[in-house]
Amino acid sequence: MSTRNANPDVLQGTLDLMVLRTLETMGPQHGFGLAKRIQQISAGALDLNQGTLYPALLRLEQRGWISSRWGASDKNRRAKFYELTRAGRKQIGRATDDWERTVALMARFLRVAE
Amino acid sequence: MRTLWKRLRALFSERRSDRELSEEVEVHLEMRAAELRQQGVDPGAAREAARREFGGIEQMKEAYRDRRGIPWIEILAKDARYGLRGLLRNPAFTLAAVLSLALGIGANTAIFSFIDTLMLRMLPVEKPEQLVNLYRTGGWGKGYASYPLYLEFRKHTDLFAGVFARSGAGKVRFDAGHSNSVEYVEREYVTGNYFDVLGVKPAIGRLFKDEDNRTPQAHPLVVLSYDFWRNRLALDPAILGRVLTVDEQPLTVIGVAAPGFHGVEVESHADAWVPAMMFRGQIMQHGMHWVWIMARRRPEIRRGRIQAAANTIMQQYLMSVYGGQRASAFGRFALAQKIEVRDAGVGISMLREAFGKPLGILMAAVGLVLLIACANVANLLIARGAVRRREIAMRFSLGATRWRLVRQWLIESLLLALLGSILGLAFAIWGERYMLLFLPPGAGEGFAVSPDSTVLTFTLGISILSAVLFGLAPALRATSLDPAAALKDGGSQQPGRGARAVFRKALVVVQVALSVVLVVTAGLFAHSLAGLRSINPGFVAQNVVTFSLDYPRAWKDADKRNHRERLLAELTEVPGIASVSYGMPGPYQGGDASASIRVPGSARTAKEGVEISEQFIGPAYFATIGIRPLRGREFDPGDWRSTRKIAVVNEAFVRQFLPGTPDPTGRILSFDDSKPEGGDPTYIVGLVHDILHDGLKTTAKSTVYVPLRESGFIDPMLLVRAQLPPASLLPVIRRELSSINPEVALVEPRTLRERVDDSIFADRMIATLSGFFGGLALLLAAIGIYGVMAYAVTRRTAEIGLRIALGAAPAKITWMVLRDGLLLIALGVAIGLPFALAAGRISASLLYGIKPNDPLTFGLTIAVLLAIGVLAAFLPARRAAAVEPVEALRHE
Repeated sequence: MSTRNANPDVLQGTLDLMVLRTLETMGPQHGFGLAKRIQQISAGALDLNQGTLYPALLRLEQRGWISSRWGASDKNRRAKFYELTRAGRKQIGRATDDWERTVALMARFLRVAE
Repeated sequence: MRTLWKRLRALFSERRSDRELSEEVEVHLEMRAAELRQQGVDPGAAREAARREFGGIEQMKEAYRDRRGIPWIEILAKDARYGLRGLLRNPAFTLAAVLSLALGIGANTAIFSFIDTLMLRMLPVEKPEQLVNLYRTGGWGKGYASYPLYLEFRKHTDLFAGVFARSGAGKVRFDAGHSNSVEYVEREYVTGNYFDVLGVKPAIGRLFKDEDNRTPQAHPLVVLSYDFWRNRLALDPAILGRVLTVDEQPLTVIGVAAPGFHGVEVESHADAWVPAMMFRGQIMQHGMHWVWIMARRRPEIRRGRIQAAANTIMQQYLMSVYGGQRASAFGRFALAQKIEVRDAGVGISMLREAFGKPLGILMAAVGLVLLIACANVANLLIARGAVRRREIAMRFSLGATRWRLVRQWLIESLLLALLGSILGLAFAIWGERYMLLFLPPGAGEGFAVSPDSTVLTFTLGISILSAVLFGLAPALRATSLDPAAALKDGGSQQPGRGARAVFRKALVVVQVALSVVLVVTAGLFAHSLAGLRSINPGFVAQNVVTFSLDYPRAWKDADKRNHRERLLAELTEVPGIASVSYGMPGPYQGGDASASIRVPGSARTAKEGVEISEQFIGPAYFATIGIRPLRGREFDPGDWRSTRKIAVVNEAFVRQFLPGTPDPTGRILSFDDSKPEGGDPTYIVGLVHDILHDGLKTTAKSTVYVPLRESGFIDPMLLVRAQLPPASLLPVIRRELSSINPEVALVEPRTLRERVDDSIFADRMIATLSGFFGGLALLLAAIGIYGVMAYAVTRRTAEIGLRIALGAAPAKITWMVLRDGLLLIALGVAIGLPFALAAGRISASLLYGIKPNDPLTFGLTIAVLLAIGVLAAFLPARRAAAVEPVEALRHE
């Protein structure tokens, strides 16, 4: 999981949920803040090019799960802030269920393999 | 949907979002670098590390851009390609759909482009919406006014930012000094402030100022139109200061107006503008109506106030001029004049009044035709949807969303509509050419045959609208299925097919209802035209050629008379020519002459003079237009050598002034209306029946015919009756004309029949076109009925086979299918009739001699629709009767 060559599709699905969850717990964030937080939580297990975050943010915004606006950062710099929308909150619920089902399913297969 | 919208928006704000992205990346890098600097990394290395952690910036931007807009276009292109392939696979379907749509869209485009030119397109001048036309009504003629009245309105600067006058374009001789043949130019007299008030700028040189229009005959200047400069003078910049001979006046060119400006009249364009003071007439005469007065209203003043003020101004003006004659018929006639303030932002048009409403009705008609065409295509699409169920089910199971399939379907509809509109534009251009043939000569000039951007936008708009109209319901229908079931049954049996059939039948009912409206109105207009055609105009129009003559300016009245008499004498000698004469205004010339008379012994004129219409004619006038006097005689050349004043009157005259007198010859009338018994007597020598000189829809007016002695301002129209066909008569006339004097030119040769036709051009056009659209509606409806019935028979093959196997007679089966078809038609007719009645009422003002609820027309329409319906349903019915039971059951 923790390599640069990880399947981008897998990464995409997971990255989306990671971003949404991070926004849910931390509230509105700019891109750098999100990248830093995601890396902190993954505790180095996810070696992410920080740049890949931005197309993901655009995709989430196009789907209406997050919204963005320009504002001032704590250092008083102009920065773009991302925020969870109501649809985004619902999506977290759905995606979490999906993930839990997938994990449970995979767990069963992995146990059989043992 | 939302994603789509955002991406669509992104397409149009690409540059901005690129900039935002760059800034966002910059902020990110800066924040990370600052963090590293705080941890003690030196600034250069911090920046470098931040970049490394970020990864490939350009790669990321590329991914971002892809995500932003391009996929949308790509998917669209893919859908379009797929759609096109689908259409090509079904050429019969595609052809039928595109052709229906092309006819509908083409008809709409053609009619709309006329409406656009005549009523919607604003003049290419400054703030055209502020322009008004001070339109004169009552008294003599309409629209035109006198120069003194213009000067009167010009004083009112509180109402108007500027008031100008223009004569209207007229064809006159033109000589640039390098050609031997007679050339013509459209010359228009304008006041000095014409270009200023309109806000038209010069392309080169300068335009008129008020100083260029102060003293009669003292301003030999001319401004040319850009088109004339380009087409006839090859954009020669040395034209400024050159002297051109226009209407035999040497005029110095001072400028060329801005490109695109052709004057303020829609259907006739001016090429050369000349100061009004150069007009060769009594410019300050109050009774001389020759200019249109236009004004730019002050924006802060309401239309209603301007109208009220104009009424007062006009009243005061008329009282100051005609107040003294208030007691006489002439005075009252003159005082009845009014000024109507009309919006003129779209320009002045002589056609708009006669042509506007017919165009509006035709626009409504073609709108209905397009609806019928859409219903047809929708029907075809539904049928196709049934066939394609398997494909749709397959795509569903492969993971396509319903939205994706509906979109695919709509894109196919859009492709159909666009193909239809391309073909439709070709139809439209052809249709417009055809429509122009109906217009009187010269009136079609302002109508561009090639569509402009407004028309193209309109066409695109209606084609998209119709794509949604005919595409959406079938798309929703076709995609509302259970894929598993559809795949299983292989697409032959359909759940919900009942609903589908009902929908298709509803479409047919709508088609029939719309057709009823179109066919009824077409019938009404055809009847109306037939009625107009059957009116006896009072003369025999066949075999009469009419024309005017254009004399050199220097010619005096006597020269013209001598020339005319010589031409008459020469032409009378030509074998095949029966009779030659002239008249002013003459039949269908559109002129009007009137006089106030007294008839001694008549109660009608005992108290005051009465206005009658006057015709100035030559010898053998009545013989030339094919009628014989009822009593007495017509004029002969001898009457011109005598000083005795004589007249011929019509029956309306006798009815009005000498009722109960069978033979008015020998009675007198007088053009001196100052005394009850009249003055200088005019002897009545003949009586003719009523001639409709002004148009078929007019009623006969009391008319006095007198010998034309001095032609004055207007030259008479010449009339030639011959056994020769007009085409071979004209060269003869031209030859005689040039052998007498090559300087005299033939103007506007038309047969009398053509002049009569021109006078009812709007009636002919609306009858012909609505007939065509009615026929088109019937054809489309017939195709619709046929399609639905044929489909129904196919669907019921098994059932029909069973019935036949159980002993049903073929006649009974035929009737069963026919009955279904007739039921649809009956329903459509019942729904359509009230709308047809309403349409008839709306068209009532354009109908002549027929009631809008004419039972014959309605009865015939119903009969025609039933006949068409039987015809369309008969083929499927016969096929149903011929079903082989064994085959049918095996089919199951």
